[in-house]
Amino acid sequence: MKKPLFLKPKDKIGIVCPSGYMPLEKIQTAVMALKEWGFEVIVGNSVGTQHNYFSGTDEQRANDLQAMMDERSINAILCARGGYGMGRIIEQLDFTKFQKHPKWIVGFSDITVLHCHLFAKYKIASMHAPMAAAFNDNEYTNEYVQSLHKAMIGEDISITCPPHPFNRSGSAEGILVGGNLSLLTHLIGTSSDINFKNKILFIEDTGEYIYNIDRMLYQLKRNGKFEKLAGLIVGGFTKIKDTEIPFGQSAEEVISDVIKEYDFPTCFGFPISHERENYTVKIGSKYKLTIKANKTKLQEL
Amino acid sequence: MNRKTFIGSIVPALASLPSLNIDADITMPFSANRTPPYLQSGDLIGICCCSGYISLEDIQPAINKIKEWGYTIRIGDTVGKRDFTFGGTDEERRNDLQSMLDDPAIKAIMFARGGYGAVRIIDDIDFEVFMSYPKWLIGFSDITIFHTHVNNNYKTATIHSKMCNSFPADWSKAEPSQIQSIESIRQCLAGEKINYSSPASIHNRSGDGAGILVGGNLSLLQNISGTNSDIDTRHKILFLEDVDEYLYSIDRMLWNLLRTGKLDKLHGLIIGGFNRLKPDDPGEEFGRDIYQMVMEKVKNFQFPVCFDFPVGHQKHNVALKCGVKFKLAVDLNGSILTETL
Repeated sequence: MKKPLFLKPKDKIGIVCPSGYMPLEKIQTAVMALKEWGFEVIVGNSVGTQHNYFSGTDEQRANDLQAMMDERSINAILCARGGYGMGRIIEQLDFTKFQKHPKWIVGFSDITVLHCHLFAKYKIASMHAPMAAAFNDNEYTNEYVQSLHKAMIGEDISITCPPHPFNRSGSAEGILVGGNLSLLTHLIGTSSDINFKNKILFIEDTGEYIYNIDRMLYQLKRNGKFEKLAGLIVGGFTKIKDTEIPFGQSAEEVISDVIKEYDFPTCFGFPISHERENYTVKIGSKYKLTIKANKTKLQEL
Repeated sequence: MNRKTFIGSIVPALASLPSLNIDADITMPFSANRTPPYLQSGDLIGICCCSGYISLEDIQPAINKIKEWGYTIRIGDTVGKRDFTFGGTDEERRNDLQSMLDDPAIKAIMFARGGYGAVRIIDDIDFEVFMSYPKWLIGFSDITIFHTHVNNNYKTATIHSKMCNSFPADWSKAEPSQIQSIESIRQCLAGEKINYSSPASIHNRSGDGAGILVGGNLSLLQNISGTNSDIDTRHKILFLEDVDEYLYSIDRMLWNLLRTGKLDKLHGLIIGGFNRLKPDDPGEEFGRDIYQMVMEKVKNFQFPVCFDFPVGHQKHNVALKCGVKFKLAVDLNGSILTETL
């Protein structure tokens, strides 16, 4: 695994919008906070640009991200928002220069595509972290957004969370991979698909139907993705929808059911989600997951 | 004997290859799918619920019509059974289907409805007896997984069509297209050759293609990606339909087809209904329609593309034999899909 260099004061962070559209004013708090953290900020052309749903045409979004990836003076790239669109441009991106001079790519949700692609094809670590909207409404001082700052400058982060009735105790060490469940399943069979063997996997999702969460877990299972997993971290499954005829289980019950035939340690309710509770973790970095009766702890090694 | 060793014993030359690598080239053994025996008057059709729940009352119109066709019916234990959204527990649904597959007296199985649930039981289904006594499996939507699983692993044809829940209670009020769609199931079962046309569309890409017909519900095709039920589209005519999805989600699933190489070697693409699309959030309009989304994925390929074909979650949803060879001709006058030998 290649880990990009951590950031130093005055380092430059580029902000891009590779997926859905975001108005320029919605990133102002993030820009201000990043500057307050001591970094310089370069706002990419795709931010504030709109092409229907997207933050610019495929070409505009790809060009902006490509330029940020290739520009040596930029030390990290923050994706302003997710939504949908990374999958449309991922095959157009050229990672030749980026491989030689990797930098931290920061984001989550639709950015899962890029995280997985970097891991699967180039073994480059990236940050699964809050994006620009998480800074707004004075939320940039919260511990979740602050964890991004800590991660950027290379401070150790250990995340703890309370026990959950469905937890399966135990401890595991392994490379951390994961992201948005819809995207993880969407990538199966493509060149961006990750091998989960000996990994600690984290999953989260939002706005999905319970039956669809069940179906996606069956896809992971039927692809053998759980067979040699070291550990599973279940983050937030928020704004979950149900069908007219109730599914009869919660998202957590569904997950618990599908993995019952395996014995890797599993924790639920972990603070990685589409809500406020969304700590920064490094995909491609080695972690230790300890799940005990009184608490869960994820410690980077 | 478990399924793997069974496949190995009948296809020794291919046993060491993953099923996806079995090319449907004419030089390869077992390239053409076999068709189960067509039905004779008095033959028995089983009805079961492998996915969502449905009541006995709701399938009565289908029972009446199938009897009118001259067939007899066995109603499975899962009809009327209910476990929340499912037509019985996983075990009940699996057992019902298994016993119908294992009973040589049953010549076809019509799934009562789709919904969700087939993927939860498919790996526990044993197709050993089915291999010796193949029979027609009939359905669509969630049943897509049975089509791809059986077409690919057991080289046996299936019927993609309406199910029991789509038979109208009052035939005098049914639309002609709905009646034609249901009648086409009877024609398929009776062994009549299939021949459908769809009107010209400015979105179509003209051309001729021939190959085994495969396909189904786009969401399900993504869901089986990478699994042992995955679809093999090489040298095939692929048809797609979906319902209740967001445009962005359809776009994403089409990318999945492209990025997993499933469009690379197609001989033809048929786009059916993409119905009851979920509205975009205000200010987040996706700005592309199904025609644009499809054509941008296939722009680097040459095969014919036909839109608005009568297949999908809609009244006009004709029966298609999956795993059977067809010819697709698309030109300025319209499209014709013809069953060949």
